[in-house]
Amino acid sequence: MIPELDYRTPETLEEACNLLWESGARAKVIAGGTDLVIRLRNKELKPSWLVDITRVPELQGIEEKDGLMVIGAGVTHAELASSAVLKRHGKILSDAASEIGSPQIRNLGTIGGNIVNASPAADTVPALMALDAVGEVVSREGERRVRLGDLFKGPYETALKPHEILTRISFQKLPPDTGCGFVRLARREATAIARMSVALTVRIGRGKNRIEDIRISVGAMTPTPHRISEAEAMLKGKSPDRGLFKEASQKVSESILRRTGLRASSSYKVPVVEALFIRSLEKALGEVA
Amino acid sequence: MESIAQRVIRFVLNGKGLQVEVPSHWTLLRLLREKLGLTGTKEGCGIGECGACTVLLDGMPVHACLLMAAKVEGREVQTVEGLGSRSSLHPLQRSLIEHGAVQCGFCIPGILMSSKALLDRNPHPGRNEVKEAISGHLCRCTGYHQIVEAIEAAGRESKFEARNPKSETNTNVQISNVSNK
Repeated sequence: MIPELDYRTPETLEEACNLLWESGARAKVIAGGTDLVIRLRNKELKPSWLVDITRVPELQGIEEKDGLMVIGAGVTHAELASSAVLKRHGKILSDAASEIGSPQIRNLGTIGGNIVNASPAADTVPALMALDAVGEVVSREGERRVRLGDLFKGPYETALKPHEILTRISFQKLPPDTGCGFVRLARREATAIARMSVALTVRIGRGKNRIEDIRISVGAMTPTPHRISEAEAMLKGKSPDRGLFKEASQKVSESILRRTGLRASSSYKVPVVEALFIRSLEKALGEVA
Repeated sequence: MESIAQRVIRFVLNGKGLQVEVPSHWTLLRLLREKLGLTGTKEGCGIGECGACTVLLDGMPVHACLLMAAKVEGREVQTVEGLGSRSSLHPLQRSLIEHGAVQCGFCIPGILMSSKALLDRNPHPGRNEVKEAISGHLCRCTGYHQIVEAIEAAGRESKFEARNPKSETNTNVQISNVSNK
């Protein structure tokens, strides 16, 4: 059972920041709670306070602003999955969010919670890495912007201080002629944590048969998220070609192995991630065909 | 702590306004079952993987085992107890019974709530839409086939049938459903 604690629901960002500042490391921010409540239940975390930020207005909304998509950290996965504007300008994130958990989980779980929980298997994270997303972090000490990749220090560990709140995530709108491919592998179709995932965006030059830009990130396979720059460099400027894709897929598996070292699961994961990469690439190219 | 932190919450439960004091660390599931005596909502896993605890929050299916009770302040909660009764079955309840979709019954309250939410937003779902709607539910008894058929069939019936439980179910008649609110 969840240990006793006090529960606060601030109505403003200022109130939330003050509560966190005053309680120091004894408080934990709660959004939907779909990850946090489980960790409370098994006594992995024992905060004296929960600060519920779901009623803070600055953490809501999916907006377009000066060529950027700006998403409140409190936006749920269900909202991401159904947002028409996000599907138009950041479909990779919408696709990733739509495969999280179950309808019930998606109705409560938030993008901010997914990031801050910092599970290596978080589904929105590879999509956000492909989007070069930036987070806004707010506290009593002020505001700062952090590149998403810099937020993760290790599994379940972020660079956020206890009194800080991730408020917004923003990224450049995807240009037209960009296809998105998110592929996820898990034990079941729903309600199972991803074992392996690939998120990529690819832009084909209009009228050209050439990859103008490609961004690749993988999920659930490395302790912290990263972009597979070797595979990106190999494919950029080239024409789509099966042989080239196969070579690039090997760059993907090599990149992962460099970070994890050889493990018992590697003999399974290496050929599978190469196949998932090709699948997501074909999915993305299919969107711009 | 010397005394357990409590919180007074006001919310609408199955259409009725309610005010209740609850320990701050309780989930909605615990509140429903242990304080309000509404044991229709079940705890199957306690970690949001089986769907047996599913209730509707502002019309959206959620896992009550993961929802801190304090979060329902000012909101609407619907549980299986509010869906229908023996004397007046909801069309979904009747359809599940008629299609042989209920064995031990443990998964059923949760599935009913997810299905109700589905029919409220999409009165005539296709097979894949039904499967997607119940993708967050586990059933150990039936193999899901009869459950999916029952929900699809309920989607083909009119709301009028619900108020007249003795009438024959006529699945050939397509009457557009008024969204159930």
